[in-house]
Amino acid sequence: MANSKVAIIASNGGLFDAYKVFNIASAAAASDAEVGIFFTFEGLNLIHKEAHKNLPLPEGREHFAEGFKQANVPSIEELVQVAQEMDVKLIGCQMTMDVMNLDKDQFIDGIEVGGAATFIEFAKDANITLTF
Amino acid sequence: MNITANEVLDAKGLACPMPIIRTKKAITNLEPGKVLEVKATDKGSTADIKAWAEGTGHQYLGTIVEDGVLKHYIRRASDHEIKAEKKFEHVIDLEELQQKIEANENVTVLDVREPAEYAFGHIADAINIPLGELDDRIDEIKSDKELFIICRTGSRSDLAAQKLTEKGMENVKNVVPGMSQWNGPVEKNN
Repeated sequence: MANSKVAIIASNGGLFDAYKVFNIASAAAASDAEVGIFFTFEGLNLIHKEAHKNLPLPEGREHFAEGFKQANVPSIEELVQVAQEMDVKLIGCQMTMDVMNLDKDQFIDGIEVGGAATFIEFAKDANITLTF
Repeated sequence: MNITANEVLDAKGLACPMPIIRTKKAITNLEPGKVLEVKATDKGSTADIKAWAEGTGHQYLGTIVEDGVLKHYIRRASDHEIKAEKKFEHVIDLEELQQKIEANENVTVLDVREPAEYAFGHIADAINIPLGELDDRIDEIKSDKELFIICRTGSRSDLAAQKLTEKGMENVKNVVPGMSQWNGPVEKNN
């Protein structure tokens, strides 16, 4: 996987969405791929300082909380940290941040902020592109 | 099966993708050519470790199950092996070696891979001395027979063949390419 590139769009803000995004991203990074995630619309929750620590389960699926615990699944906080340690590029969408009246300080440290073109520039030669 | 690894990583109780992430970290700190044992309870880890090794170029040796714990063995690839030119000119191919073994000729096979690689499949009666220990254990090799040195791809055995010839051994041959292409019978450690 060295010399390959994975570009991910995260556009949903629930706990399930967060696991899909960060599991795939960190597994790809551990396989030596270059990984970038573009967080847009509700996806911004996944890197919001407070929100990412307490993401909601889908309605009617709250009972899965127990399953996550039993399977010893790492927390999203932990996965974000792991992803950052492995140099996964985290890009927050500027336009969504403007719409939601949020600024960079309200997000975890180490993110980049950019628009659609920033992501496109990163993704143009990606081997794998995923949307969650 | 008793297998020697250079490092042991305990990833028991961890769920996907943590066993892979810990493995990645552990192998980065390992010297090339050395073997990592990963203990895991994540049932998906066997398929994941195999795929991960294939993608990253490390060598997946195998997995054993002991008391409900999966033990995966991975050998860190070394650039040297991939790029090394083979210099030792006396070589024998696998078919010829197999014929000699089947004809019960008086041959000694020296396997210079790591003990964990050897454990997951080797030629019957092959002596195992990893390349790194050859200098210290040279006395274990009887030099009166034809000596066939084998590894996985023929690189480590090439270096071993040069070394033993320098030390005065005769009748040394490098088996090419090596166990990675061997189709004959193999034994595994119990």
